[in-house]
Amino acid sequence: MKRKLNLSLTALVVGLMASTAPAWADFWSDAGAKYKGVVLHGVTESTPPSNYIKDILAPEFEKKTGIKVEIETTSWDQMYDKAIKDMEAQTGIYDMIYIEQDIIYAYLARNFLVDISKSLKDDPSLKAPEFDETHFTTFANYFKNADGDLFGIPMEAFIKVYLYRTDLFNDPKVKEAFKKETGKDLVPAKTHEEYTQIVEFFTKWGKDNNLELWGTTAQAHTGHPASWYEFFESIAPTFGVYNWGIDASKNYAASVANGGTMNSDKSKAALKYWLHLRDIAPPESAASTWSETASTFAAGRVAQGLIYGENAAWIASDAEKSKVVGNVGVALPPLEAGVLEEAEAGKGYIGYYDGGAFGLPATSKNKEATLLFLQFIGQDSVQSDWAVAAPRITNTATYDDPKIAEMDKKLGGYYSMLKNDGKLFAGAPAYPFHAQVREATAPIFYKILTGEVSPDEGLDQMAAAAEAELTNLGYRK
Amino acid sequence: MRSNKIGWLLLAPTLTILGLFGIVPFLYVLYVAFHQWNPFGANPGMIYNGANNFRRLVVDGEFLTSIYYTALFAFFAVVSEIILGYLLAQLFTKDFPGKAVFRTIHTLPLIVAPIVVGSVWRLMTTPSIGIIPYYLKYWFGYDLNIGSNATAAFALTVIMDIWHWTPLVTLTLLAAIVSLPKDPFEQAQIDGANRWQIFWHITLPMIRPAILATVFIRLMDALRTVDEVWMLTGGGPGAATRYLGLHIWKVVFPKTDYGYGSAISIIVLYLTLVMCWLLYVGLVSPRAKKRII
Repeated sequence: MKRKLNLSLTALVVGLMASTAPAWADFWSDAGAKYKGVVLHGVTESTPPSNYIKDILAPEFEKKTGIKVEIETTSWDQMYDKAIKDMEAQTGIYDMIYIEQDIIYAYLARNFLVDISKSLKDDPSLKAPEFDETHFTTFANYFKNADGDLFGIPMEAFIKVYLYRTDLFNDPKVKEAFKKETGKDLVPAKTHEEYTQIVEFFTKWGKDNNLELWGTTAQAHTGHPASWYEFFESIAPTFGVYNWGIDASKNYAASVANGGTMNSDKSKAALKYWLHLRDIAPPESAASTWSETASTFAAGRVAQGLIYGENAAWIASDAEKSKVVGNVGVALPPLEAGVLEEAEAGKGYIGYYDGGAFGLPATSKNKEATLLFLQFIGQDSVQSDWAVAAPRITNTATYDDPKIAEMDKKLGGYYSMLKNDGKLFAGAPAYPFHAQVREATAPIFYKILTGEVSPDEGLDQMAAAAEAELTNLGYRK
Repeated sequence: MRSNKIGWLLLAPTLTILGLFGIVPFLYVLYVAFHQWNPFGANPGMIYNGANNFRRLVVDGEFLTSIYYTALFAFFAVVSEIILGYLLAQLFTKDFPGKAVFRTIHTLPLIVAPIVVGSVWRLMTTPSIGIIPYYLKYWFGYDLNIGSNATAAFALTVIMDIWHWTPLVTLTLLAAIVSLPKDPFEQAQIDGANRWQIFWHITLPMIRPAILATVFIRLMDALRTVDEVWMLTGGGPGAATRYLGLHIWKVVFPKTDYGYGSAISIIVLYLTLVMCWLLYVGLVSPRAKKRII
């Protein structure tokens, strides 16, 4: 009897579980039923992670919910142009916009975005069972307000790493030549001096051996903000100049005279170091933005370089696009003494942690349906394939997925570095005037690159221009 | 009275569209030009600041540099296009083998979007990768680097514009040339005029209206060029190709300085009108005066 009862109970539990499981699995079709036929419009930068949303996640979501998602992938400039115009004019064309981590503070200041945490709390029927804000890595904090509410679902997160060619660094002939020339072993550089030595060696090696090979990449376009970003986000911090050299606590001072560091000795040393590298980098460097440096590396034209992590996967694994597949190693950027300690103590950082999220504009006409889609792309279950297709990790659980562990080997330990050392990198400073100060100072920076202005004088002018712009904008009193 | 009403009725749709999409935005830009307005400023609203934006223009080195390079760009591009366009138009009045194919190919750049033109030229001129630097190095030992050589970058933007827009000039001048009456030319030949005299005294005066219209169109286009140059050089190296259109775009969009950007737009419109008026006065009025005398 007892056995029969047990069996009956087990059958009941199994039955209940079986009937409940489809109900959970069917959340999307149930929640989406109300919005069937709705077409969501999103605009984002054309990057591997965004293309994955467009090509894989959006069709999958449509299949499950009946809600169509149209993602417009365009250039970085156009993306901002379209999104800001839409929100400013309150036209409501877009239901989702890409928010790069550097623009979020400007958008929050203008109340452009919907508070995702609050919206889901206010309407629990929209809350997907598998979606959990606490599953995101700490990178999600960049998309939260002071109260800890989330305003964007992280969809891109990567660091700008020091990528080097393992085939060259492990080549006995090259190693021997390097030892002979410098008296040192050829290993990834830890200091700027070592990095410069390696660059000089490989550029000379390429020339002497009639090879199309140089020592480093340089994102040094003379008319595109990519060069400005490389300096302020990836080079200056390694010399101990943080937050573009602007000190918000000192009335947004940029110049040394007022308490800033934009034109400090460290900043000037950083710029001279980088300009020297640019001078012995491949000739295309003066016209290179972020994508071109990756192409240069993938073409096997450099021995090392600072490369955005979003490009690391295809460089290391896509034989159709890259000539250096299987020959890629990653390391932390070279640093000045003391910078690593400052980063570990949380007082500085060693490089750029980039990424973006999908936000919901307050002007959207389909907020509820959009909230469903945003949760869909934020679930743990969709992350690992996404991370394999495009090297980005936004959810903590993704690190433990076997597919990611496998990919990590191909990427020379990139994911491990992201997991273990990601905390040493930082995104853009929390400035609501990001683009404004960049555009006010970039023309002077381009003049430094073309040699019209000396690095020292140029940085002095940039610090003055930044302060003038901040005064004009009303931030600096 | 009745015909007047019908006339206004027929004009109404055009006037409405012109008013909505031409006059109203212009008045709005004019209004914004007298305000300080940056939506990402500490005060994101519009603050009336009189003529400050216009005063700022006079001492704005970037703006003045931009005017200088734009004027140079427009001069070299438009003059070259008119000369080349005229020569090609003359060529197309003659018969030669493969003329139809050549004329079609020659017109193709016109149907390509400016942004695509910029992309293609960027691919062709990127140092180390592009076909143009490769052959310049291979044939002449010349290192073309548009990222570091300001003169080369400037020249390339002019050449790109010529490549893109000369066919338009050719077509308008060809239409003008083929519609010319034959009598004056026959008369001149009988009188013993040589080719230069025929060109200078007959062809040129007769196609002057077409040339003038084409120059106006091309000049206005050249003064507001953005897409192609943005793709090719991004305005660099330094400010060497940061032409007015691009400068305004950078001030208004990435920098979101709407007030100042509007003031620049108004001044550029004014300068364009002045240039066109000067051209008109220089090329048309003296002739008209002579005829009256």
